[in-house]
Amino acid sequence: MADTPDAATAVAIYRTMARIAAADRAICQALAAGDLQFQYYPAGGQEAIPAAIASVLAPDDLAVITYRCIHDIVAKGTPMTEIMAEMYGRVAGTSKGKGGPMHLSDPRSGLMATTGIVGAGAPIANGIALAQTLKGTGRIVTCAFGDGAANIGAVHEALNLAALWKLPVIFVCQNNLYAEYTSFAHSTASPSIAARAEGYGMAGELVDGTDPFAIRAAAARAVARARAGAGPTLLECVAHRLQGHAFGSDIAHMDMAALERAKAEAPMRTFRARLLAEGWASEAELAAIEAEAEAEVAEARAFAEGSQAPAASELTTDIFADEADRPDAPARARPVVALPEAGTRMLTFGQAVTEALDLALGSDPAVILLGEDIEDPAGGIVKMTHGLSTRHGRARVRGTPISEQAIVGAGIGAAMCGMKPVAEIMVCDFAMVAMDQIANHAAKLRYMSGGRTSVPMVIRMLTAGNVGSFGAQHSQSLEAWFAHIPGLKVVAPSNAYDAKGMLLAAIDDPDPVIFLEAMRCVFVPGPVPELAYRVPLGVAATVREGRDLTIVSWSWGMQEALAGAERLAKDGISAEVIDLRSLVPLDFAALGESAARTGRVLIVHPAVEFGGFGAELAARLQEALWGRLRAPVMRLGAAYTPVPFSQTLEALHFPDADGVVMKARALLEAR
Amino acid sequence: MAKMTLKVPKLAVSMQEGTVVAWHVSAGAAVAVGQTIYTIETEKTSFDVESPFAGTLTPLVGTGETLKVGTPIAEILT
Repeated sequence: MADTPDAATAVAIYRTMARIAAADRAICQALAAGDLQFQYYPAGGQEAIPAAIASVLAPDDLAVITYRCIHDIVAKGTPMTEIMAEMYGRVAGTSKGKGGPMHLSDPRSGLMATTGIVGAGAPIANGIALAQTLKGTGRIVTCAFGDGAANIGAVHEALNLAALWKLPVIFVCQNNLYAEYTSFAHSTASPSIAARAEGYGMAGELVDGTDPFAIRAAAARAVARARAGAGPTLLECVAHRLQGHAFGSDIAHMDMAALERAKAEAPMRTFRARLLAEGWASEAELAAIEAEAEAEVAEARAFAEGSQAPAASELTTDIFADEADRPDAPARARPVVALPEAGTRMLTFGQAVTEALDLALGSDPAVILLGEDIEDPAGGIVKMTHGLSTRHGRARVRGTPISEQAIVGAGIGAAMCGMKPVAEIMVCDFAMVAMDQIANHAAKLRYMSGGRTSVPMVIRMLTAGNVGSFGAQHSQSLEAWFAHIPGLKVVAPSNAYDAKGMLLAAIDDPDPVIFLEAMRCVFVPGPVPELAYRVPLGVAATVREGRDLTIVSWSWGMQEALAGAERLAKDGISAEVIDLRSLVPLDFAALGESAARTGRVLIVHPAVEFGGFGAELAARLQEALWGRLRAPVMRLGAAYTPVPFSQTLEALHFPDADGVVMKARALLEAR
Repeated sequence: MAKMTLKVPKLAVSMQEGTVVAWHVSAGAAVAVGQTIYTIETEKTSFDVESPFAGTLTPLVGTGETLKVGTPIAEILT
């Protein structure tokens, strides 16, 4: 496809460049006039890169880009009217005004996501590409980022995984020689980003990012590799930035002589001159193209200015597929789901998880598993995926490198394209490594895209506290972190029956679900029916009825809550025990009803008590039931310490049945 | 013919106000799109504002005035 430059191609590329420049200019003008007020990252100098690459892509190929984005968006084919309306924060924008200039998405034109987090798009691009490979669509993915992103961990993880799995991705590093306010030379010892490709085991090319035909030729080779299944390419296009980092920001950090040279050699100028010199277009033809671009942008601006701000009701939509799943939504009648009898067949919690995954893989080709060590013969660190890669194949049960950001990002991208990924992050503590992917992307893409994209994935992780000496970095219960991020569902079953039923429900859920599996529960047997059943998320279970107080817990906290209630019963104290099962969505109605009846509530959780989810429940209960409570709501969580290694100390750190009994008595004595 | 109003632009997230330190075009003069018309100083930066419109300029404020973001600063009759 390395063709000889021709007039038609040159004019097509120039037309895209002119549209980019017109859009960029219009936004800067609106900012200069004070009509728009936001941080804007102009693309001046980089127009040729996406314009040339677009000339060798199919319209239905897919893209993930970064916040200096106007050139990439226009080249991808997103309607100018919707781009401008989003810049103005209007409901007619690509994201209904909920994403803004850093977060445009338009899956209809193949623009899957624009991220405001440097480097974060690369892991997601892998997932989009993986979905294309598994579904056999033949589509490929471009992933644009700057030279600054080349030095962030997510990109490193993603490049390794893309090369390992030979994913059809073109990683386009648009090296504009500055990472925000720091020059390339001051942030990167290596003279080239593309040179790193060899180290990842992929093709790399370095091209002049102001020369459309050089870019086009390199991109054509990358496209051919991707379509042939020969894997990704790291394509570095060097094009000097023609302005500061953001509109209006100072340029004291820039080399002024180099900037002046770059302006003199700006691609808009040099390519235009080449079109004339080669006789590919006349002055009148170019002027007409420029005038058309200006008119298109002016019309789009008028459209944006004339469109409405989003209605107030938009604030709370597009967080979840169903607005009623918000944990602060008014209580509603949830559909009653007939669930099978528990029966007599006993499985451990861990076996129940395996069975759920097996059933999901067997019944739905969209389900895939991703994670470290999940393939046979290892079959997971506690064997919860054992047998699954053998039964369902390694294409769908995919062992990964130790790359949490790449794992979650691959899940996100695949989920955006119709897959139902179940990613495994060994222990909850490691999720912190991938928190950007989880909290900034999985959680928010639905909202930031105004509902145009969604991330129906499950992220499983162990909470390995109080099983003996995993220590401070393998034992935490961080559910409060996840519950604090709008857009994440958080599920923490306590028994084998719920583990299977809630995991199957989570896999079918349209939103990202954090699925916490307590190591203290994994080896505990319980009755589990053989067939597939789904325990709805957001429905608490009253596992013991009582009248004197309500004890609420979840995950392995239920073991201590139930043991405490048992001992209280021997002393004639009747405790009602509620298994919350899921924190988001939250069955506050069930808890409130019980609390109103008993007047006393004790919240038990294995997570650190300070700032834990119990604090949220206690506050909500007191706001809702003040006057009906007979004592202040109490909490019993872990001590404010890292989880200690010594088993003597670990036992002191975590809540236990003794603590439950003591707190329950204090509650009953309180007046 | 339309009268376009230029307002004090927001040049940084933290910017609340700015000071016009120089006018590069005198009242009643013609300006072209992209021509530098005034320089504004904030606590973080000094920035040359280019005209978003072509037309005849009428400054609404003098130099040395500190103005809040969004305050009208000039009119351009296009």
